[in-house]
Amino acid sequence: MQNPIFDQVWWVIGLPLIGWLIQCLFGKNVIQSLGPATGKRVMGSIAVLAIAASFAIGVMIIQALAQLPADQRAVSRTLFDWINIASIRIPFELRIDPLSMTMVMVITGIGSLIHLYATGYMAEEKDYPRFFAYLNLFVAFMLVLVLGNNLPMLFIGWEGVGLCSYLLIGFWYKDFANSKAANKAFIVNRIGDVGLVLGMGLLVSLISSNPAAVAGADGRWLSYDVLFEYLPSIVAANPAMATAIALCLFVGACGKSAQFPLYLWLPDAMAGPTPVSALIHAATMVTAGVVLLNRMQVVFAASPVASSIVVIVGLCTAIFAALIAFGQTDIKKVLAYSTVSQLGLMFIACGAGYYWVGMFHVITHAFFKALLFLGSGAVIHAMAHDQDMRNYGNLRKYIPITFITMVIGWIAIAGVPLTSGWFSKEDILHDALYSQQAMLGGVNIGMYAGWIGFFAAFLTAVYMTRMMMLTFWGGQERWKLIPAHAGGHHEDHHHEHAHAHAHHDHGPDTHGFFYTDEELAKTHEEHGHHHELDENHKPHEVPPSMWIPLAVLALFSAGAGLWLKGYKAFPSLPKDTLEKWLEPVKYAEEKAHGGAHHSPIPFEQFITPIGYWVGIVGIILGVLWYLRGLPKAEGWDLARWNPFRRAAADQFGYDRAMVDAGIEGGGLLGTFMWKVVDNKIVDGAVNGLAGAMGVLSKGFGWFQSGYARGYALMMLVGSVAILGWLIYFFNTTGGRS
Amino acid sequence: MNDVPLLVYLGIGLFMFATGAVGVVVRRNPVVVFMCIELMLNAVNLTFLAFARYAPSPLVPPGGQQHTWMAGQMAVIFVMAVAAAEVAVGLGIIMAIYRLRNKVDLDEMSTMRG
Repeated sequence: MQNPIFDQVWWVIGLPLIGWLIQCLFGKNVIQSLGPATGKRVMGSIAVLAIAASFAIGVMIIQALAQLPADQRAVSRTLFDWINIASIRIPFELRIDPLSMTMVMVITGIGSLIHLYATGYMAEEKDYPRFFAYLNLFVAFMLVLVLGNNLPMLFIGWEGVGLCSYLLIGFWYKDFANSKAANKAFIVNRIGDVGLVLGMGLLVSLISSNPAAVAGADGRWLSYDVLFEYLPSIVAANPAMATAIALCLFVGACGKSAQFPLYLWLPDAMAGPTPVSALIHAATMVTAGVVLLNRMQVVFAASPVASSIVVIVGLCTAIFAALIAFGQTDIKKVLAYSTVSQLGLMFIACGAGYYWVGMFHVITHAFFKALLFLGSGAVIHAMAHDQDMRNYGNLRKYIPITFITMVIGWIAIAGVPLTSGWFSKEDILHDALYSQQAMLGGVNIGMYAGWIGFFAAFLTAVYMTRMMMLTFWGGQERWKLIPAHAGGHHEDHHHEHAHAHAHHDHGPDTHGFFYTDEELAKTHEEHGHHHELDENHKPHEVPPSMWIPLAVLALFSAGAGLWLKGYKAFPSLPKDTLEKWLEPVKYAEEKAHGGAHHSPIPFEQFITPIGYWVGIVGIILGVLWYLRGLPKAEGWDLARWNPFRRAAADQFGYDRAMVDAGIEGGGLLGTFMWKVVDNKIVDGAVNGLAGAMGVLSKGFGWFQSGYARGYALMMLVGSVAILGWLIYFFNTTGGRS
Repeated sequence: MNDVPLLVYLGIGLFMFATGAVGVVVRRNPVVVFMCIELMLNAVNLTFLAFARYAPSPLVPPGGQQHTWMAGQMAVIFVMAVAAAEVAVGLGIIMAIYRLRNKVDLDEMSTMRG
């Protein structure tokens, strides 16, 4: 008898969906009838409550799941048959196991914090219910993605979160740049989706040709329990097929998780509101690729080639994005490239065969990157929606809570020992170093990736320090020094408002938990004549609805590593909590675990000290570099930048080259299809057929004389002919055919 | 009555039918064409009656119901009824065409030429 709480798993998805419906159906009316401030408070609370209640149910389920014996921690619940056609059956079913529930915790937990934050961040927004409708819908789809018990259900979620991502990137759709960014994200993701669908098709064709699976699967080819049961032996017998499937699935993962060839949509996705960047483009949606690799680890583990490619792609992404981050002046762009880089690290772990370590970094990264994004949102909020770090400086005096929480996020992502980021990064790089999974032609790719990964970690520490130093330190309050010619740097949606405006002194910070009516009225007033950054600007701290999420996330950013991993200096802490918890979803043997029986690798004695010091050294170097504020070589005058940084600001030309190739190549292809294929071949065939018909009908038209007696004669001749034939027929056969 | 052999009826019927058919093909006056059609129909009627008299339907079983012996006669009644209806419609059309064109020449009515 299973715990009845498992039957309530539908509410985990259902509550955000109900929240979405409420926002859609009643949002506008409620805000109209209760007035903007109260109405927004009500609708915001409903949006937060939907996710928080989902989180609460998730907690109950995960507790019930933890009480089961480890080998029984996989419960599935079927609602109905979604697709049931000849030889394939896809039920609408959910899977409760450690992996899915871990993701549910991350999605609903961080999701509800970010929703709470968004109630404050979006308070000035006119389309308040629309925003929360999208955000609730996103959470619902993300939960479908992780909870679904088969790949098509994962695909529903996959496409659903893609849709919500598109809608939210283009939330301020009146600015054409945002619409373009949304389209770019959507279109680039399509490339990945093709890979995912192809991978699913290959999986079906592979598993449905196996007699044992045919007997036992009942047509549920793509359900995880079937895959886990039959796939290990099948892929072991078909390594080439395993590689093909793994690579196809990895193309999908690359699209969603912004890996190297397809990463270019994520930085542009920063056009969306900051809570969206935190929730979708840092904490949850972009980790879907890692979840997919975790789910399908049996396929990847069977293919060293595919694993090596995963490692190489992850490593290239980690280094490349980290280098680009050095040339960015937009605070959100820095974080975006940092996200891309960290996702690369997660894929290194997955490629090296340590899938649970990828999940570990997903979790810790969700904490500290959501924190950093929300913190950057608070900074942007304080700085009148200016996102250019060159216009910041010395902000720690003005927004102390944001400052302290962001410092915690910063040391976590930089990998200062004992922070969550340090634990997961250490695990990734150590496991990659000792892994024998990613072997390509006798070369241990994983080992090289581990060593180079330390460099990526070092770069991370340096560019994050650059961001923090430029924002919070530096002696000068640079928004008072903006040169006149540098006015066009505002990346947000307000830049069409020119300089005609009145100055507001925001006065002391007397926020309640939410914004009051007067504050809202004032911000609305600001919309009319935009509040621009200038020497009179005074940054103000955010209200508690926005800094409470920061504080909670900071707590987890600092402590999640100790909680989930444990540390040898604290023997009272449980060890390897997460690894043990995710043990039941491991379906692939880890090759050459770094325990007692690993083979030694060169320069082994340096690994541990490097792991301890790489983040700290990076931070110290960054602090020394940016101690005196904004260097001239990174200032408002782009001509004074050094060539490396200018190239990095331009993504080393990669984005432009890809987009140009896409657009011009598409144009050439389109012209070819039009001028040659359509005009010549298709039109030729159609016109030729029509011409032939014309000639033919001219010939037949000759019979249509228009004279009734002509037709009568024809009938006569015809009748006589038929009669004659009948007589002949009867005479020769006697009436029997 | 029985002195006249079947072949004579059939011969007269064939002659009438051929005359009618030739008339339909060669004449240009629609009224004459109608008369020719009537001639053909009556030729068929004559043939029906002759066969009904001399060679009753082989489909009727011997000693079967007597009324089935009347199949040929019934067919004739139907033909006459249909012919009457057809004449009513056809004359109506001819009148309409005459009112339109003041002339009824079948060769003039060739707008359906392909």
